[in-house]
Amino acid sequence: MKVDEIMTKKLEIISADASIYDAIERMIDKRIRSLLVKPKDEHDVYGVITVRDIVYKALGKNLDLNKTKVAEIMSKPLVCVDKGMDVEHAINLMTKFNITRVFISEGKEILGIISLLDFMSAALIKRAREGHGA
Amino acid sequence: MLKKVFGGNIEQKVIDSIKKHMQILYSASECFKKGLQEWDKDQMHCVADLEREGDSVRREIISMIYEGAFLPYLRTNICRFVEIVDEAFDVLKDTAYEFENLEPMDEDIREDCIQIADINQQMCDMLIIAFDALFNKGDLREKTLAIRIYEKKVDDMKFDLIGKLRNKEVKNFWEGRTLSDSISYLTHISDVIEDASDYLHIINLSMR
Repeated sequence: MKVDEIMTKKLEIISADASIYDAIERMIDKRIRSLLVKPKDEHDVYGVITVRDIVYKALGKNLDLNKTKVAEIMSKPLVCVDKGMDVEHAINLMTKFNITRVFISEGKEILGIISLLDFMSAALIKRAREGHGA
Repeated sequence: MLKKVFGGNIEQKVIDSIKKHMQILYSASECFKKGLQEWDKDQMHCVADLEREGDSVRREIISMIYEGAFLPYLRTNICRFVEIVDEAFDVLKDTAYEFENLEPMDEDIREDCIQIADINQQMCDMLIIAFDALFNKGDLREKTLAIRIYEKKVDDMKFDLIGKLRNKEVKNFWEGRTLSDSISYLTHISDVIEDASDYLHIINLSMR
């Protein structure tokens, strides 16, 4: 199975200059746990801010959520896999880097994201279909 | 399992007809998806045609059951399952009708609708697999779990779509109503298929 068969195409993007509070609001509204952070210019690369970053790096350190910018706590660069890669390769990367999501890319373009839950769901559906050829 | 215990000719006919009923549902959902992908409203007429064909198969099944197929205590649950699959046909037909009356959609909304239509089609396929598992000693539990996973995906997309629709300007009441109803029906199909898979579980329990 290839990663682009199971990825979620819905990507929520936030600016690096946005406040952490903006990021929290967006995550709650959209019921997601990470946001893709836009590059500042053509020389910059994409980043990611996750619930984990917010809890450990901002809430845990009592930072002012309205004044602290996303850029200050986001992770960069992204861990990406090419869209044609096997799912097993992506899982190996996640294990190696101890992360819960990987981004799917084609060249410089980010196409989607896969989280642990996506892997689990895809594996269960594959198992249910086994022996039925579809 | 059921085949072994109640493996008469008439029971086998009912089982085959139920499979046929579900395969027609699969074809209808495939046809709807294709109509949506190509934005070909004429293509969506096939949904209504297949729904009528499904109706006639459903009548045959119910008649065969009450003519004596299966033990009486099983008949109600099997009939209920067939009625729920038929409800999925009705919702799909309503969806196709609403889409036929829609103005061209924003590309991002249309893409989400196509993705939901694709999941609906995969759910129909999984329902057939689950039904097979009921009669061929397969693991029904893992098939119904797969259906629940699909349903959860549609549910997540539904809230996102509703959010997008709230920001869309509409020209008049009927445009807004048609758009709202089309999304509401499209996202309801997965609920009905999930209900049908729950009924397979009930049939399985009632046979023990």
